[in-house]
Amino acid sequence: MRYLIEHETVLEYPQTVREHHIELRLAPRSDRRQNVLSCSITTEPAAELSHYLDYFGNRVDYFCVIPPHSRLVTFLKSEVETMQENPFSFEAVPPGEELQWLHQAVRATPSLNDYILHRSLVTPTSMKLAEAISTALPRWQRERPLLDSLLELMAWASGQLEYRSGSTEVHGSLVAAVRQGNGVCQDFAHLFITVARAWGVPARYVMGYLNPGVSAEEALTTHAWAEALVPGAGWVGFDVTHNLLSNDHHVAVAVGRDSYDAAPQRGSFKGDTAGTQPTVTVTMQEQ
Amino acid sequence: MNHTGMLGSKTRTPYHEFYADDFTPRDHYHLLWDHIKATGNNALEAKAHEAQLALRAEGVTFTVYGDGDGDEGIERIWPFDLIPRIITAPEWTKIESGLKQRVQALNLFLGDLYGEQRIIKDGVIPPELIYQGRDFRREIVGIVPPRGIYTHISGIDIIRDEKGEFLILEDNLRTPSGVSYMIENRVIERRILPEFFNKYRVRRVEHYPSLLLAAMRSLSPRGKDNAEIVVLTPGIYNSAYFEHTFLAKEMGVELAEGRDMVTINDIVYLKTTSGLKRVDVIYRRIDDDFLDPLVFRSDSSLGIAGVINAWRKGNVAIVNAPGSGIADDKAVYPYMPDIIRYYLGQQPILNNVPTYQMTNVKDREYVFDNMERMVIKAVSESGGYGMLMGPSSTPALRKEFVDLVLENPRNYIAQPVVYLSRHTCYMDGELEARHLDLRPFVIYGEEIEVVPGGLTRVALRKGSLVVNSSQGGGSKDTWVLAD
Repeated sequence: MRYLIEHETVLEYPQTVREHHIELRLAPRSDRRQNVLSCSITTEPAAELSHYLDYFGNRVDYFCVIPPHSRLVTFLKSEVETMQENPFSFEAVPPGEELQWLHQAVRATPSLNDYILHRSLVTPTSMKLAEAISTALPRWQRERPLLDSLLELMAWASGQLEYRSGSTEVHGSLVAAVRQGNGVCQDFAHLFITVARAWGVPARYVMGYLNPGVSAEEALTTHAWAEALVPGAGWVGFDVTHNLLSNDHHVAVAVGRDSYDAAPQRGSFKGDTAGTQPTVTVTMQEQ
Repeated sequence: MNHTGMLGSKTRTPYHEFYADDFTPRDHYHLLWDHIKATGNNALEAKAHEAQLALRAEGVTFTVYGDGDGDEGIERIWPFDLIPRIITAPEWTKIESGLKQRVQALNLFLGDLYGEQRIIKDGVIPPELIYQGRDFRREIVGIVPPRGIYTHISGIDIIRDEKGEFLILEDNLRTPSGVSYMIENRVIERRILPEFFNKYRVRRVEHYPSLLLAAMRSLSPRGKDNAEIVVLTPGIYNSAYFEHTFLAKEMGVELAEGRDMVTINDIVYLKTTSGLKRVDVIYRRIDDDFLDPLVFRSDSSLGIAGVINAWRKGNVAIVNAPGSGIADDKAVYPYMPDIIRYYLGQQPILNNVPTYQMTNVKDREYVFDNMERMVIKAVSESGGYGMLMGPSSTPALRKEFVDLVLENPRNYIAQPVVYLSRHTCYMDGELEARHLDLRPFVIYGEEIEVVPGGLTRVALRKGSLVVNSSQGGGSKDTWVLAD
């Protein structure tokens, strides 16, 4: 599939702010499943952009606006081609050897530990999560392929929450979302990640876009899903909100331990005014 | 860890720096002792008074914080004991080589952690240690600081055990403080005991600011002759503010707060009355958490937004480098002997204090069974905070620490109480023994240099083993002899 994505973020302040620094994680990633054909970021007021690759491998574009201003706009325009792929066509590792395979992968790439060990408000300990859920948490059944258990986990997690737009705060507590029984795509992803990590399986958060034609979400903004490291297959995407494996309707942008790491925009400014809620407009058109 | 034999009998005698076992002064203290005997208590009292006046006149102060929230602290005159602590040339040779070895290993370790992580891949240290460490800074992974140096300034705490062996107690690699007091102690001591400095051939420490300045110049991206250097302070309420102003003044560089600086397109500037001035080196006296609100804590108003990106580009040097704190995490400390062997292929010259890891169930149970003889420390605290001193603890406090440790074992370590060496002090008209430690300062510029001396901290309360100035400790001038 070929998509044209536009993502505009408008920040408006009641009083002027200055010395404004912004970091963006907006540029879609390039990998075997998606090809970035074009990508441009512009700002208003105009600024000189620099970029670097962060610890998680995300491209970060950053800039500053020093003089006083009360409005700041960032605008991304990108064309991305996604490839269809059979998620089950990989050289499977026998179920009895999968744990060993994961251990070896973590040993060779120590930073994978982050995707197992990280705990936060949005990805709590399984003990904290279990307190909020009346039934037992799903388990990795070692005699069967890990992917099967992960698919069951995804089905279970998608049933724990009712999708309701605006029902939880960005970076809000997962336990609170589970207790109230509804959440947004971030909560679904975090729930899956939390249980997978308790199994000792590396799991990470993905921020990106989903083709609005297949999305259950009302307003089009960014989407969130999870990825787990599956022996033999590598990172496999789980769109927990929709209970399906990520496919060519998904365009991945940034990954991290949780939503905080993969936040699309982060900033710091000086001024006598509090931060403001950004107005975000996303469009995603099939080409 | 082997549990047998680590805790001796309860009646261990601390090493006395001044007196030998037969209660005669050690050789290197004879000269001083003869003088004290000859002049008597009245002369000592007069000297002590003179020192007090001088400290007051110089405005040598520090700030003590209580338990209250929002407490702004109380400013006190720096407590100074006039009887110097003397370290012989052979003793110093060992300390100096041990510290150089340690600082070299620490910097190789940091470069590896933020780079390839060979030490984890080779299984020498467990990954949890790093990935669950509060001070492992993912934001700087892959950035190589100038010449691979992270800790341009280390303040490494050394104690002396019952046998007189020098042991390393803590590596302080974030923003170690105390060096201004090392120098002020020397200034005062020179004034009140001038005749001894020649008789004893005491090595100089007053050149510390020029050593630091040279080390910082060597990091300047625009070359050492064009180095604009700034001391970044969190402000007047910081307990070490005296030291920040002292060092800025001694080095002849600007003292600034975060709000006095701005990053524009990856260049850091100081705002001056005559416009923006480019900054090359930042000697920051604020923690990583507060250094850059764009990448670390976004609620920090103490730092400089964008400074990490400027550092990544090599446009500014930060002293000490961000991320250094993971290497002095107290949970990493027990691995230091292995870290030295791994990177240098050498045996440690100075040993660690034996340490129990609370993540290890056997260690933990042993510590719980012997809490009266243990010190339990929170791994990312310093300054004597978050610590249980077994011998002086109450059952209620011990119970509290058992719960704290069980809740988060990674966050605690324990050590058998080491009876720090003692030294004669002049206390309210009497000569009395008090426990002490030593914090020498190591500068890593063109090469690694240890300033011959350090801050000797004294536990002012009789029998107390807590020397931190924030916990009521005092200090002495430290004389390292040339021969």
